[in-house]
Order: sequence, then C-alpha cells, then structure tokens
Amino acid sequence: MPGIFDRLQKELENKGGEGGITALDLADLPPTLRKIMRLMLRELQLNYPQLTETIAALPEAERLSGKELDEALDVLTAQGWLIRIGQGEKAIYKVNLRRKAGSKLASGVWNTLDEKLKGKLPDDSTTDAPPPKEE
Amino acid sequence: MANRKIVSIHSFRGGTGKSNTTANLASQVALAGKRVGIVDTDIQSPGIHVLFGLDETKMGKTINDFLHGKCPVSEVAFNIGERALDSEGRAKLAGMNLWLFPSSIRGREISQILREGYDVNLLNEGFQTILKELQLDYLFIDTHPGLNEETLLSIAISDILIIVLRPDNQDFQGTAVTVDIARSLDVPNLILMVNKALPKYDFADLRKQVENKFHAPVAGVLPLSFDLADNGSKDIFSLQHPDHEWSKALREVAETVLAIK
Repeated sequence: MPGIFDRLQKELENKGGEGGITALDLADLPPTLRKIMRLMLRELQLNYPQLTETIAALPEAERLSGKELDEALDVLTAQGWLIRIGQGEKAIYKVNLRRKAGSKLASGVWNTLDEKLKGKLPDDSTTDAPPPKEE
Repeated sequence: MANRKIVSIHSFRGGTGKSNTTANLASQVALAGKRVGIVDTDIQSPGIHVLFGLDETKMGKTINDFLHGKCPVSEVAFNIGERALDSEGRAKLAGMNLWLFPSSIRGREISQILREGYDVNLLNEGFQTILKELQLDYLFIDTHPGLNEETLLSIAISDILIIVLRPDNQDFQGTAVTVDIARSLDVPNLILMVNKALPKYDFADLRKQVENKFHAPVAGVLPLSFDLADNGSKDIFSLQHPDHEWSKALREVAETVLAIK
C-alpha cells in the first residue's frame, strides 16, 4: 500500500506535468513575450546580464527597453513558462516546456501490447523486401 | 551567437516525400562542405534511417533512449560519413560531416513513448546540445506529419521551415494551417517545396500559383518520378542519380537553404 510520501511525491510529479508552456501556447503570446521565449528555447538558459546583452544585440526594431524586458520576465516567470533561479543580476532563466502527456488509453491495452511485443525478435520488416516481379 | 541553423521539414499530410526530401537535402548540404545533423522526431513512425541503410541491427542508441534518460544525446549520433557508405549514392558521402540521430523502430520502445509521454524540455536540450557539441552548421529535423508536440516545437525553434506539399487540394488546405502556425510562431524563413508534380503540369505556372496562394517562396517544384519510387528508399537518390530532373530540382532547394544567411 503506498505511503503518504509516495502519494505526495505522485501529486508533485502530476503538478509538475501540468506546468510549463506548450509550443502551441507560444503562438498566442504577445510578440514581446514570444521573442523572449524563442530566444530562450534556443539558448536553453541565460543569466540576466546575458539576456540583456542578447536583447541589445537584436536589430533595433526588435530590441526591448530594460523596463520592457523586466516586465516580460516577470510575466513569464509568474506563468511558470520561464523558471527563475536566484534574484536580481544573478538570476538565471530557463525555459519550462510542458511535458508531453502519455496516452489516456486504459493501461490494460498497453500491457497487452507489451506482452505481445515482449521477446519479439527483430522483425522481418528490417530486411529488404524482395523486389516485385517485373512483367 | 554562432550561426547554427535549425531546418525543420514538415508536411501536413503523410506521403509527401518528407523523409526522402530531408535525407537528400541534408546530404546535399553536407556535400557542400557543411557540418550537418539530422534528427528523426517522427517517433511514432520513424523512417528516415532506411534511406541511410540502417536497420535495427545497425542502429545502436536512439532518440528514445535519450528521452528515457538511458544515454546522452551524443551517443545517439550515427556517423553517416564513416558508417553508411554501402551503396552507390551514399558512398559519395565518404568523409562528409553528416550525422543521423534515429528514432527507435522497436515496437515496445515506440509504445513506451506513446504510453508515458516524455519531457519536451529534454528533447529541446537534445537539439541544442547536438548543434553545439558537433559544431553543426545545420540541424535538419524530420517531423511527423500533421501537428503534434515534437512538430510544433521544431517549428518554434526553426530558423528555416520547409513545408513539403503535393499539388493536391487536401495538401493545399493542410499547408495553409501549417503556414498560419509558422507565421504566428515568427519562423524567420518559411519555404515551400512542391513534390510529386505530374510532368504534364507547367511547373513555372504551378510555382506561381502556390506562391500566390501562400504568400511564401517556392524553392523547388519536383516531378513525380517512377525512378524515385523504384529506388524504394534504398539510397540517397540525388546522389545516385545526380543528373535526374528530380535531383536537379532538389539541389535548387538545397541552394536556397544554403543561401539563407
């Protein structure tokens, strides 16, 4: 029988799975927020000085002021789409993508499939199919 | 920031020749002296490995192993330029900097991903790690047709998105959906490639029609080819038959990709 800590751990895992942004959510973001998220997706993590430096290096039309950047970072972290580790100048930002959910099919279906696939040798489809006869 | 480009190849519907296109484009770009990686994110129905002569016995570690935390992504890399030279076309890739990151073709591993899901952050970290560790110029991502988590992520992080479509009304409608999403995700370079065009069509006119419909450039119109079908994904067709019309049009697309700064 699972103990209270197992249950709490499970709850935490489930909560973690619900958080974060999906790629489709990105499309609905205002341009400023989307710009930061796209940048973070490519850089994975940046500290605050690196972020300001990267934003400053963007073409003029795409640049954000310090205030705009700070406000955007506050919104993104409040939503759980960026994770902020530390505070102020030392803060490090990481993107937080939502976990891809598993199938909602009943577990029995998967167990049956697993049983059928268990121990199956490399299937015949890996060998070249014979060429069709030419007429 | 280094000028490393992610190129996603996508089609809304299956059967457009997406994996074939990805394998051929990546090979042509590698042949131009670039460092190139290919990731198969079509986890549900992987296939691009076949074009590089891989089967279950040769494959080693896969993207599935990486997503399950069984190995670092670097261990998934299969060096095409050293290890997949067993056909006339692929032999031309000898010494080229081209790596494939295949998805598993074992039924249980595919079903495990479908059943349990996976950490999308890890997949994205894998892309960026591959780019940096192998010092790639281009990372090609072969996606699953339609829209799902991996596909949307790959579109969102792309510098270049190539949408493959056939001259077919179902493809046109589906492509409109992908084009809309790509635009709302601010993909910097959106390119269309028309594949399997009947030779009786006026290709210049078809190109113009598609460009007008989607307001995006068409990098190439590739003919429907029995020779390509006869190849049956056994080899990289544009390397095996460089003078074929399909190969010439494919190289036009590769040149477009290479020209994007």
